[in-house]
Amino acid sequence: MRTSLLSEKLQEKLQLVNHAISNKNQLPILLNFLIKAQKGSLTISATDLEIGIKVEIPANTEENGETTVPAKTFLELINTIPAGKIILGTKKEGLELLGEKIKTIFQTVSSDEFPKLYEERGGEALTISKNIIKKDLPKIVFATSQDLTRPALSGVLIRNDPQKDEGLLMVATDGYRLSIKKYNSSGKDKIKESISVIIPGKVLRELILINKGNDEIKTYVSKEINQVVFFQNDTTLVGRLIEGEFPAFEKIIPQGFSVKTIFDKEDLERAVKACYIFARNAANIVKLSIQKDKMIASASTPSLGQNTIEIEAKTTGEENEIAFNCRYLLDFLSNIGEETLSFEMTGPLNPGVFKISGDDSFLHLIMPIRIQEET
Amino acid sequence: MNNDYELLWKRILGEIETEVSKGSFFTLFKTTRLLSIENSMVTIAAPSTMIIDLIQKKFYQVIKKVVDKYTGFDTKIIFVPKTIDIGTKNNNIKTPLFEDVVDKPVQVGHLPRVRADYTFQTLAVSSSNQLAYVAATAVAKKPGQSYNPLFIYGPVGVGKTHLSQAIANEIYKKTPSKKIIYITSEEFTNEVVEAIRNGDTSRMKNKFRNVNFLAIDDVQFFAGKERVQEELFHTFNILIDRGAQIILSSDRPPSEIRKIEKRLSSRFAGGLIVDIEPPDFELRAAIILIKAKKYNIDLPIEVAKKIAEKSQDARQLEGYLLRIITEAKTKNSQITDNLIYSSLNNYQDEKKIFHPDEIIKTVCNFYNIKPTQIKGPKRNASLVRARQITMFLLKKELNLSLAEIGNVLGGRDHTTVMHGLGKIEKLTSIESFSTELKNLTTHLKNY
Repeated sequence: MRTSLLSEKLQEKLQLVNHAISNKNQLPILLNFLIKAQKGSLTISATDLEIGIKVEIPANTEENGETTVPAKTFLELINTIPAGKIILGTKKEGLELLGEKIKTIFQTVSSDEFPKLYEERGGEALTISKNIIKKDLPKIVFATSQDLTRPALSGVLIRNDPQKDEGLLMVATDGYRLSIKKYNSSGKDKIKESISVIIPGKVLRELILINKGNDEIKTYVSKEINQVVFFQNDTTLVGRLIEGEFPAFEKIIPQGFSVKTIFDKEDLERAVKACYIFARNAANIVKLSIQKDKMIASASTPSLGQNTIEIEAKTTGEENEIAFNCRYLLDFLSNIGEETLSFEMTGPLNPGVFKISGDDSFLHLIMPIRIQEET
Repeated sequence: MNNDYELLWKRILGEIETEVSKGSFFTLFKTTRLLSIENSMVTIAAPSTMIIDLIQKKFYQVIKKVVDKYTGFDTKIIFVPKTIDIGTKNNNIKTPLFEDVVDKPVQVGHLPRVRADYTFQTLAVSSSNQLAYVAATAVAKKPGQSYNPLFIYGPVGVGKTHLSQAIANEIYKKTPSKKIIYITSEEFTNEVVEAIRNGDTSRMKNKFRNVNFLAIDDVQFFAGKERVQEELFHTFNILIDRGAQIILSSDRPPSEIRKIEKRLSSRFAGGLIVDIEPPDFELRAAIILIKAKKYNIDLPIEVAKKIAEKSQDARQLEGYLLRIITEAKTKNSQITDNLIYSSLNNYQDEKKIFHPDEIIKTVCNFYNIKPTQIKGPKRNASLVRARQITMFLLKKELNLSLAEIGNVLGGRDHTTVMHGLGKIEKLTSIESFSTELKNLTTHLKNY
């Protein structure tokens, strides 16, 4: 193979592909990039067998061909060379990179060893607006579980059922908290067919990262082969679906509240961060006391001390108290961009519900920690 | 059938493992499953097409060779992308959010090892245990916040156990969902030893380090048990850090418990140390009245006083009381002075084992002399009498040999002892002396 391209383009895209390289991988070939030159483009792929990423870079190819190079070395070198034209070509000794004043030869492994990212991409399931991926997906994905013994909880359920007269729905839960977002069916996201898949959190986190192009993201799902493929412009992301049943989340979403309070997100985030200092040695417990014109966050570790922080809030309903795991609160708050939030609860033992003020399509609920009150 | 496949695939994988590199095996084969064998068509599941692609490219022949060997067919192998639940097959997702039943804490029965009748209400308070009582109620009101740890010490039968169990009962009554453990030091030791023997300390650690309230009785018995002390030390730190309440009881203050590591005894002393003195007369009488109430007996205060005179030890008081009640029941009579007298006198006949020094000390106290004098060479008439009485008691109570008695009393000859015993035997016929001796014996029993 022989092809020429701009090193800065390569540099930019290589960062993305590198996400699919896992240094923990024990299979040597998976620590390599697959480099393939064809007419008008150079494609680079990488996979850790869980996810696969492929990018396409415009290139002037004189001779088609493909090979694999060690990802770490290749990436490090590309990062050091100045912007400008480079030529990549296979030689007997390996892959040669020629720059303005640089000449490098990489060891290569035959591309026959490299796994195919996918055979068929399957039918187009839906097109997701890149804004959804950018703005809404992060609010959902963080609630997935890292616990692999319960696969269904490690993914996000994406459902789109025209029969049910509902729009696109995304929901994730790790069993202690849950994030859900519903869109109106009249939205501009075109429904191709009814779909209900659980996509691993890992794949979706990657999707958020590669979402840099201008075009919408096309999703292809093939349930028979358990595979999901996302396309955006010149980037492809391949992952597998999670087989399993998603827990019955509809049942646990509270249908009302006894107290509701509206507050500034920054205020609560700052307060919870301060409480974390005193909560981290005491099971991460932060207590929220919802009062008339304020919310009070407090935490204490008997051996360190305690603190309470007041947050301005507008409350309707009876005053109440609830305790949460600090980490869950911080996870939620750091993934929310909106400024004004609301919190609803029915009792200290029932899940507390966070919403974005004025937006009923999203909610995040957290299971409280049961604490004993001394009388 | 499924199980057969599982077993067969396990064996096949075992063989493949020896043929391929470790890395390949773990990344590619570990997650595969055998789905079916039909007419020499073998279907194998792997999680993704990428994995399948790699296996087919590199290891098809390896797999085929092994599969052929095991099945005896010339097989054709197909792969399908499918994740089969690895390990856990239960799809039951049980987490706080998806739990149907909220476990409402219900107060059922009483705490293990804790007597339900040991409460603050059944505890008589007077000056001897007032401080301990106040501390205990404060702890019960705000566990983990007032005095932590609370260290209660005092001699036997003064109510240490009653107090620490009363705290446990009180906390349990108010917040049944709290994890409360009441345990004696011996049981704690057993748990640690057991855990070490089984090579699994995590369960034991889990048990003790996640409680809200831990009471350990008679911690002086931890003396010399280093491994147990170490375990206690770490448990102690974690619990205190988490704000869990700890109650310890012992027969002496932490500083006087020997063979306890410094770091541990200083932690024992880190909260509040209270001592309980032996109950005074009034308290003893009150205790008897309370106990009598428990047995549904309306005891006249005069009777209570009489019993209170008999012993210093609350536990023994209860014993006396029980005896009187039983006797009254069997004889079907009222509790009269006579009954008390006869019953208590019987009780005294029970042998109590003394240390020779205890007898010497009692005699000395009684006659107001010093033990060194009794053991010494002087032979004043009063000293000799006391010495002879001591010999008599040593013989009667402990049944020591003449030589032993001589030894105890400063190395006297056995003939001297024999002479002394004879003297006292003669004197017992005189009434004044026999009452004196009786009084002395009562003192000894109350020692």
